[in-house]
Amino acid sequence: MKDVFIYDALRTPRAHGKARGALYEVKPVHLLEVALRALQHRHQFQASDIDDLIIGCVTPIGDQGFNIARTALLEAGMSAANGGMQINRYCTSGLEAVNLAAAKIAAGWEELSIAGGTESMSRVPMGSDGGPLLNDPGVFMTQNYLPQGVAADLIATMEGFQREELDAYAVQSHQRAAAAQTAGHFQPSIVPICDANGLAILKQDETIRPETSLEQLSRLRPSFARLGDQGFAAMALHRYPEVEKVHYLHTPGNSCSLSDGAALVLLGNEAKGKALGLKPRARILSCATVAVDPTIMLTGPGLASEKALKISKLKAKDIDLWECNEAFAAVVLKFQRDLNLNDDQLNVNGGAIALGHPLGATGAMLLGTMLDELERRDLKTGLVTLCAGAGLAVATIIERV
Amino acid sequence: MIRLKKDTANIVTIIFDMEDREDNVINHEITDAFLPVIKRLQEEKAKGQLKGVILTSNKKSFLSGGDLGYLYGANDPEELFQEAEKLSRFFRDLERPGVPVVAAIAGNALGSGFEVALACHHRIVLDDPRVRVGIPEVNLGLMPSGGSIVRMMWLLGIEKAYPVLTSGRHYSPQEALKVGIIDDLASTKKELIEKARAWLLSHPYWHRPWDQEGETIPGGTAQDPALIERVRATAAELAAATYNNSPAKRTILNVLVEGSKVDFPTACRIENRRFAHLVCSSTAKNMISTFWMDYHSIKKGISRPKGYGKFRVRKVGIIGSGRMGSGITLSCIQNGLSVVLKDVSKAIAERGREYVSQRIDELIREGTFHPTEKKEIMERLVTTEKATDFADCDIVIEAVFENQHLKQKVTREAEEQLDNYSIIGTNTVSIPIAELGKALRRPQNYVGLHFFPPAERVPLVEIVAGADTSDETVARAIDFVQRIIKIPIVVKDVWGFYAARVQNTYILEGISMLKEGYAPALIENSGRQLGLPNGPLELADAMGLQLVLKYEEQAAMHYGSNYVQHPSVSVLKTMIEDLERTGRTKKSGFYEYDEEGNKVLWNGLHEHWAPSKTSYDRKRLNERLLFAQVIEALWCMHEGVITSAAAANLGSVYGWGFPKETGGVIRFVQNYGVDNFMAQAKVYHKDYGQRFRLPKVLKNMITEPNFQLAKAAVE
Repeated sequence: MKDVFIYDALRTPRAHGKARGALYEVKPVHLLEVALRALQHRHQFQASDIDDLIIGCVTPIGDQGFNIARTALLEAGMSAANGGMQINRYCTSGLEAVNLAAAKIAAGWEELSIAGGTESMSRVPMGSDGGPLLNDPGVFMTQNYLPQGVAADLIATMEGFQREELDAYAVQSHQRAAAAQTAGHFQPSIVPICDANGLAILKQDETIRPETSLEQLSRLRPSFARLGDQGFAAMALHRYPEVEKVHYLHTPGNSCSLSDGAALVLLGNEAKGKALGLKPRARILSCATVAVDPTIMLTGPGLASEKALKISKLKAKDIDLWECNEAFAAVVLKFQRDLNLNDDQLNVNGGAIALGHPLGATGAMLLGTMLDELERRDLKTGLVTLCAGAGLAVATIIERV
Repeated sequence: MIRLKKDTANIVTIIFDMEDREDNVINHEITDAFLPVIKRLQEEKAKGQLKGVILTSNKKSFLSGGDLGYLYGANDPEELFQEAEKLSRFFRDLERPGVPVVAAIAGNALGSGFEVALACHHRIVLDDPRVRVGIPEVNLGLMPSGGSIVRMMWLLGIEKAYPVLTSGRHYSPQEALKVGIIDDLASTKKELIEKARAWLLSHPYWHRPWDQEGETIPGGTAQDPALIERVRATAAELAAATYNNSPAKRTILNVLVEGSKVDFPTACRIENRRFAHLVCSSTAKNMISTFWMDYHSIKKGISRPKGYGKFRVRKVGIIGSGRMGSGITLSCIQNGLSVVLKDVSKAIAERGREYVSQRIDELIREGTFHPTEKKEIMERLVTTEKATDFADCDIVIEAVFENQHLKQKVTREAEEQLDNYSIIGTNTVSIPIAELGKALRRPQNYVGLHFFPPAERVPLVEIVAGADTSDETVARAIDFVQRIIKIPIVVKDVWGFYAARVQNTYILEGISMLKEGYAPALIENSGRQLGLPNGPLELADAMGLQLVLKYEEQAAMHYGSNYVQHPSVSVLKTMIEDLERTGRTKKSGFYEYDEEGNKVLWNGLHEHWAPSKTSYDRKRLNERLLFAQVIEALWCMHEGVITSAAAANLGSVYGWGFPKETGGVIRFVQNYGVDNFMAQAKVYHKDYGQRFRLPKVLKNMITEPNFQLAKAAVE
């Protein structure tokens, strides 16, 4: 197998995935187009140097439909780039895109690829693509398939997390993200979104609330009580009869905010990088995909991490920094408990609770954030993992070179 | 089979009239017989000699449901699918003769009977509050076929069709009109035909919406985001209510969802395939067996002592206007009887009257009665504080507190007013009838009538024959119970009779699991998810732990030196004696209760019975909870506490909520397979002890004529 290098990673800023979000006025394909242009501009490769573009997108319909990856290449003036495809492995899509591209490079079949993801949740809402797991009673009743939030509440209940712990975690996410933003740690990798006149629409992540306090969060109402009481909590107990009652603990405050954004990672083998004068920033050591029970759904990151560690013959103690997507506070706390991690190693710049979660893009964003932070702290290895729908989880381990 | 009449306006009246049957049922005979009729109608239409068709019946009912005997025996899905497809074609022929068709419904039209009407262009029903229409197949674990779900969806939309198809309700004509499953009412049979003719003449070109370009399902399809959101909620509710135990309801929901996304003929075919699959399911067979065959064998009187003339009750005396007394009063009043309701004061008895009045108003709103009937109904209810008002009652039912002295006192007072031919019933569950009857001059006329709360809703009554109760009194009690449209099961005068005795084993098994170290939530959820109305521990709390223990102590007495103490007894004693947590009335039992009645499992349980099991075998836990009950019921059969499988089955479902999809305790064994059941019980006997021992003669019992009586009566 050939070494797979990460030559660069960049992203757009993240905006509220709602009509009040700054990127609502921007059409989805434009987010990816801007990111592609920026990447090419930074590294001056020819479009034809690119062997493939793999883009994670979880709701690939409407303005994100009909293969947004290829569409964005054309819009970015890169029609000569070979390939362009959109994939969906739920919330892990952006990281899975990286892993897929890396695998082909490792196999020697490709030399230089772009991978990443995009999601405009303000324009194309989550779940608007339908699907039997969400909308066909014949399927979701048999599977005891829950709305993600109810699954997160189930995890919190089973792990015995209290509301205050979850809220405290959320406060920390905002504080860390705010500190990183203020210090300018995100800025080098962010590509601002501008209009046709070059006027800036959004330059930095807009969902961080540095003033967030425990007291504020404690006043928020649980988000998933209505769905749970509709019958989904009973479905959870059908699968986990040892639980007396699902406690509704997640709120808009301690769950990720859904958002808009795109991210790209430039990957390649050593020879191609040398030929183009690219400087490798890190190497991909291993990646792994796992599945856990689809009802509880979001407990896979621990297992995925262990699988990735095993493949790379590393131990948890060999990892300097960890990123576990903050889909819900309980997901991260459960992950931390599973792997017995210290606070100061995990999600050190906050996460999706503060910064937002543009579903298809987040995996690639976390990888980029991780890489920047390893460099800033001059550390070596990092592991990125995300939970996902239907019980899936993905992990990737990188090492600076 | 099918008669035709044609009038001068070229309107053909088709009269269903199956020979040798009380009712017209929908089966292959009638669909076959309809083929030449359709041909003739088409010919007349071609000659320009047909304006419209009226469909009607000369039987008491318009058309009753499908042929359940056939469905029970049918196990070939291919054949069932083809039959359903045939029915589809029949319905299509009916709605496409080229002229409009009206269903003129003057009697009950339920199940397939109503589905024929659904395939007509217009439905008019005689406005008689006794008439019932609807699609109650789910009550037998079945679903409609031939495209009837799809028609209902096109008529009402997914959301409104769903409750009509899955509630199992029988609608009065007024209600049916409100719900939208019929189009018009007629006040007389004459007006019914006149209205039918008038509609036909004014609607010469009438098509079903699904045969019309551009027509859509009202409310949209399951692809519409707003609608699917609500369908999801409905599905989640169904999952929570049934824990996937009701394949019929799930299948109906699935046909609605899938059927809304495809064209009409494809949707009908999807429905028919699902129908064939469902009919072959064990749930359907269990439910047909119990709620149709067993039910009818009881209705025909398998347990009624022979040789006594029919007891014609007109007037009923009821002592006690509490929850039970008022419920029994309502059952009587609702079914046309007169009632004298007595309590310690007339003012207190009036509370019972108020309750009855409110419930009758509800029934009027539902269309069961006409508002004009209210006065006559309420006039049949007299309240009193004097036993002398019982003088001309045919039966008196005592429903006062469970206190022997009080019961005997009020019963004696009543007896003095009655003649030798009247009977007295007592609504007790824990005092032996023979004991109570000792206070009476005519104990032979005294019988236990054990109603279950809420008495007006639960369709079961345990008839308890004491040592002195005469056969004639039992026969009369059965006639009375049938008169108020309930199911009588005759049980022996032993502790807990049948229902409470068997139910107790469910509670005790749950408590044993707690003792073994299973998490209490797991025990409770296992019971509920099996389809029992309550978890074993919450049921114990509701009954009171002393009563649970008392039943088991009575069992100990009954079995004497053969008794092996149930492992749960020590837990009960600890709870009652050491912890003083005796149940819900004390707001402290296996659960803790707050002021609003909300409850959570008592967290102190962990200290006394630590949840030490880190894993569990779900199938085994479930089976233990069910086997405990089934085996106790088998012992009841063996000891003659209950004498027929039919009574045991219906008693288990209606008496304490044994999961109806199993068809009841005895059907459970048959469905499990007698040999498999015996083998599995042996395993549990070995692992958990005496309480899983089977009567030695089980195998004989299952093949004995008495055991099979229920089946023999209908086959």
